Amino acid sequence: MTREDPVKHFFLWPAVLVVLAIAIFPLIFSLANSFMSLRLVPPRPSKFVGFENYIDLLGNERFWQVVKTTSLISFTSVAFQFVIGFAIALALVKKVRGADFFRVSFLLPMLVAPVAVALVAKQILNPSMGPLNQVTTFFGFPNLPFLTDSTWALGSLIAVEIWQWTPFVILLLLAGLQGLPDDVYEAAELENASPWRQFWGITFPMMLPISVAVIFIRIVESFKIIDTVFVMTGGGPGIATETLSLFAYQEGFKKFNLGYTSALSFLFLIVVLIISLVYLAILKPYLERYK
Amino acid sequence: MKNLMYSSAAFVALSLSASVAMADCSPDFTGIEITATTQTGPYIASALQLAADGWTEKTCGTVKVVEFPWSELYPKIVTTLTSGDDAFDVIAFAPAWAPDFTPYLTEMPAKYQQGDDWMDIAPVYREALMIWNGKVLSQTMDGDVHTYTYRIDLFEDKAHQEAFKAKYGYDLAIPVSWDQYLDIAEYFQNDVEGVYGTAEAFRRGGQQFWFFFSHAAGYTNHPDNPGSMFFDPETMDAQINNPGWLRGLEEYIRASKLAPPAALNFSFGEVNAAFAGGQVAQSIGWGDTGVIAADPAQSKVNGNVGSAMLPSSNEIWNHVTGEWDTYDEVVKTPFMAFGGWQAAVPQSSGNQEAAWDFISFLSSPEVSGQAAVTGGTGVNPYRISHTTNMERWASIFSEREAAEYLGAQQASVTADNVALDMRLPGYFSYTEILEIELSKALAGDVTPQEALDTVAAGWDELTEEFGRESQLEAYRASMGLEAK
Repeated sequence: MTREDPVKHFFLWPAVLVVLAIAIFPLIFSLANSFMSLRLVPPRPSKFVGFENYIDLLGNERFWQVVKTTSLISFTSVAFQFVIGFAIALALVKKVRGADFFRVSFLLPMLVAPVAVALVAKQILNPSMGPLNQVTTFFGFPNLPFLTDSTWALGSLIAVEIWQWTPFVILLLLAGLQGLPDDVYEAAELENASPWRQFWGITFPMMLPISVAVIFIRIVESFKIIDTVFVMTGGGPGIATETLSLFAYQEGFKKFNLGYTSALSFLFLIVVLIISLVYLAILKPYLERYK
Repeated sequence: MKNLMYSSAAFVALSLSASVAMADCSPDFTGIEITATTQTGPYIASALQLAADGWTEKTCGTVKVVEFPWSELYPKIVTTLTSGDDAFDVIAFAPAWAPDFTPYLTEMPAKYQQGDDWMDIAPVYREALMIWNGKVLSQTMDGDVHTYTYRIDLFEDKAHQEAFKAKYGYDLAIPVSWDQYLDIAEYFQNDVEGVYGTAEAFRRGGQQFWFFFSHAAGYTNHPDNPGSMFFDPETMDAQINNPGWLRGLEEYIRASKLAPPAALNFSFGEVNAAFAGGQVAQSIGWGDTGVIAADPAQSKVNGNVGSAMLPSSNEIWNHVTGEWDTYDEVVKTPFMAFGGWQAAVPQSSGNQEAAWDFISFLSSPEVSGQAAVTGGTGVNPYRISHTTNMERWASIFSEREAAEYLGAQQASVTADNVALDMRLPGYFSYTEILEIELSKALAGDVTPQEALDTVAAGWDELTEEFGRESQLEAYRASMGLEAK
């Protein structure tokens, strides 16, 4: 069979059609909806409105508030996840007694469903019956409004995110650390380089590519957060903890404002794309330097 | 010949047994399975399931109860109805959703709209909540009106009575006004160790706004301007930022500060737990509180559960004159919060006859009466017979508790100035704006007036977006007013 053999079409086109049907069509359908006024409740005839949904959203204070909230939760929690995860991975890569037990234990939170994690967290943070407040009041501190004050609620969500997803960072960084060549460290030892110097001169630069990937994956995933917020705060108080996904859920599945929700989804995609591109652009020189 | 005789005898025996079976199934729905959907149990779903078992015995048909979480129920039903899917034969839903569902529902057959059982349904349900544009499109299967619950032992304690009178200058008793309610809450919160003032739902997404509506109803449901609580029924302008609503919100916020420390995260479930757990001296909410608090298995205060109508006010805002109208006595204004679950049959159902028969069985005086006294069904009284059959209620309440509980329920649904809940197309869009602003006001992020102004502006915007004329028409229908 040559490259020009027409039989190639017989094998190629089914795959192309499947990709079009599964991946491209829903996106195009959703994009088309984003230019329509389409409401199921109350039922309205759909009509083409051009960029009106996008303009409405960009002028909507609530949209910018949820972008800010989502970014805050995402960047803060991922920063902590990376620092804590790196530190724990460095500890676990050493051959210490019980390392296998610690490795499995540290990974457990990642294996639990986010809804279950949120329910447990909600009980722990309960203002009157939760153990955390019972401890603080026992020591004479006031009852803390973990889920009912805007700042505390955001902090609580970030803490839960860190608790649940640091294991993911540990897992990948540990794999990266185990793949580092021993001879580089042996050479550093001969040069009497301190552990601190070895970390910044060898470990961190060599781990940079995988670190960039881990942070990238976590930021993109964190931006989609909905389950934890839904269970713990419902987006409240007010809209203080409402995230982009929760906002889209409210618009799409509570109010059935489908055109608006489609536009919101594409703006969501654009926000994540911009953040990703900026992040990769900033880190590109460093990645080039340590290639 | 012998074989022939045996065959004949067997045939006769089979025929007889078949006719007996036919007689047992009345009406006979053998082989028919209807699908009923509602929220995840136990509330309401267990009532459907209990009735389903009885209906199967009676008719030989079967019922499959499909449950969805509260937050998913509306989307599931609405997508099914709008797509014409026949997935559900019976839908059990919140009355506030009725405006979005009514175009897709069948009318109740005439044979069910007559007789003693029909007249036994309390008029506010039979003549208002089950009706849409003159047609009976649903059957109430749960009565939902907010009432007041209090601890008899605390209110009748001599020391509390004396201390309260010394501080406030009047007797500690069931409050008839919201001012008195807050005084009582303040007294128990600040002056009594181990008990908090009151419990209400304050959590966004936790039935919060119905509790706010209950406070506001006393100041905004003007007896001379029916249907004007939420919107002006002439213009459809939002009324929610008028001085009556402002007073209601200020008092609702004050109540949140006279409650347990966790109260801002309370939904109705936590209100019941707080009252039944002996945490609070009083609470407002649906009738479930009384039933749960009377159950020794769930309660620390059984035997001391008092009930009454909601407090109200003798001052009501008149939106027509723009002034407060003052009455000689408090105008009793209970609020039909939520209004009670409704059961209906979609036009897309392939088993409409069986479905309406099941609803009739479910809501019959005997079956619904038993459900009303069964803890966990979520069914509260909605028939006159539910509130008069003291024998049935003796199984859970003491005589005094039963008398107060049933008296409060009956007086509430038959009150002259009973306030109906809001029912509008796009209901979630309206309540979402309200919930967000209520949360902000409760957290102290905005002032009550700012919160209500934002809600009013948002409601007016939604009304314009959905079509002022059509919304006005729906609003008037929901309030039992004639079309303009």
